[in-house]
Amino acid sequence: MRSNHTIHTTILITLSLGTAMAQTSTSQIVKAANSFLSILDDNQRKSASFAYDDEEQRKRWSNFPISIVPRAGLSMKEMNPAQRVAAMALVASALSPRGLEKVQQIMDGDEVLKTSEANGRGGGGGPQGGRGNGGPPQGRGPGGPPNGRGPGGGRGPGGGLLFGSDLYFISILGMPSEKTPWMLQFGGHHLALNITIIGERGILTPTLTGAQPALYTLNGKTVRPLGAESDKALALLNALDDNQRKQAILGFKLADLVLGPGQDGKMIQPEGLKASSMNEKQRAMLMDVVAEWAGIVHESAAKARMAELKADINESWFAWSGPVTAAPGSNIAAYYRIQGPHLVIEYAPQQMGGDPSLHVHTMYRDPTNDYGRKPAGK
Amino acid sequence: MKRTLLTTVILLWTAIPSLAHRLDQYLQGTIISVEKNRVDVQITLTPGVAIFPALIADIDTDRNGVISAGEQHMYAARILNDLSLKIDGQGLKPQLLSIEFPAIGEMKEGRGEIRMEFIANLPRGGPKRKLIFENHHQSRIAAYQVNCLVPRDPDIRILAQNRNYSQSFYELDFTQK
Repeated sequence: MRSNHTIHTTILITLSLGTAMAQTSTSQIVKAANSFLSILDDNQRKSASFAYDDEEQRKRWSNFPISIVPRAGLSMKEMNPAQRVAAMALVASALSPRGLEKVQQIMDGDEVLKTSEANGRGGGGGPQGGRGNGGPPQGRGPGGPPNGRGPGGGRGPGGGLLFGSDLYFISILGMPSEKTPWMLQFGGHHLALNITIIGERGILTPTLTGAQPALYTLNGKTVRPLGAESDKALALLNALDDNQRKQAILGFKLADLVLGPGQDGKMIQPEGLKASSMNEKQRAMLMDVVAEWAGIVHESAAKARMAELKADINESWFAWSGPVTAAPGSNIAAYYRIQGPHLVIEYAPQQMGGDPSLHVHTMYRDPTNDYGRKPAGK
Repeated sequence: MKRTLLTTVILLWTAIPSLAHRLDQYLQGTIISVEKNRVDVQITLTPGVAIFPALIADIDTDRNGVISAGEQHMYAARILNDLSLKIDGQGLKPQLLSIEFPAIGEMKEGRGEIRMEFIANLPRGGPKRKLIFENHHQSRIAAYQVNCLVPRDPDIRILAQNRNYSQSFYELDFTQK
């Protein structure tokens, strides 16, 4: 295992890269992509590169660990330290600082899960079930060594590793370009970033984020990768009056995402409370929840997306199913959905044998423009 | 049969750690699309790892480790038998369009999805219509979800959706010009 110092240095390098490159234009993302590709050997470059119209690769993402649903592309495990730095710099160039932080916290959570599984504690653990000592995850981020392989822990049915930050894949569909469309994918367990770059546009849909544990301790700090998604939605629910809550709260149980992997391009009938029945403050709160997903991508793309969604606000809906309270500092155990003409967001705690608030899947879609399929200007 | 399945689920559940898999639920997600003269229904069934052994014994009836076309259609017929679809109080006869099974290994890992699609022709009716869909397949272990797509036909407009808590009962009010 690496020393804490090395890991902290790595984290700082990655974060500073993210901060420096977050507010970038397409040219900087293209530059980062070309830098990454240039330091790969031929076989690695081949593994990471796909045709832009490769439909199978485009849809090869999931909430599952990679040993259950195999991914293609180049994994962090197959890279040397310099290549990992370049890969994360590319990811950082396409994201906002907060988006990058979220991605890193999801990957850290997977390290926590690996450790807890190796210790035979089972998933879904929070601070107690995770690394209660606050120690750093192993093999985290760029430059990290191969994962420590706990005794039988974190292994899939075929003996393959299930969890850990080595098991995230990067792929590029098409040629990085400032003019012609191409796509950057980065993901693994509980993460699927599908970023289509078309000129100056950056389209983040469909994107899946998730966390297990969704609350853990790292270096003495409590981390909730999707905590803002939980807190802001609960605050919005609490800001509604009785009549609005009656409309927003659905009278039935939702066990999982409705439009998860494999459900591209579907627009279901919206339900719940229509934002046209909210006051200005409530609508602003709704947009603030939406920003947790729309703001993952870099600033200029996020700004354009938020403007599009704000224009749709009166045709947007907020629906909730499940417990209407959460202990301070804890995640909600309720499902919620935000839907508009160009948007579906789902937040779905998972009923998989543990505390559902500690295992969350979320989905962010534009059914009219998943993978940037909508022609420009429409 | 149902009691045996439930007992097996409980025993297996206690033996399996809470990993990344669906465990003791049989997720059944239904998406309904109302068209001019018919209703399209897609159901995606995802058995949890804990219920897989009992479920596969129920599907792979000759126990040869392969789900034959005949076994697939037998299972589809059983699912259809557990469903009910009515328009304006009148029962509809579903016609199976397709059923697809994943590899047994995928189901064993809790990620395999059985995908089934059927249609039912809609008799003519008034401008205000009520569709009722009920699902009672493996109700003791099921987690049901039902939704309808925004109609592609501009002449069809959804008025309301109502469900019971478990979503085994779904009622859709719509208008049709």
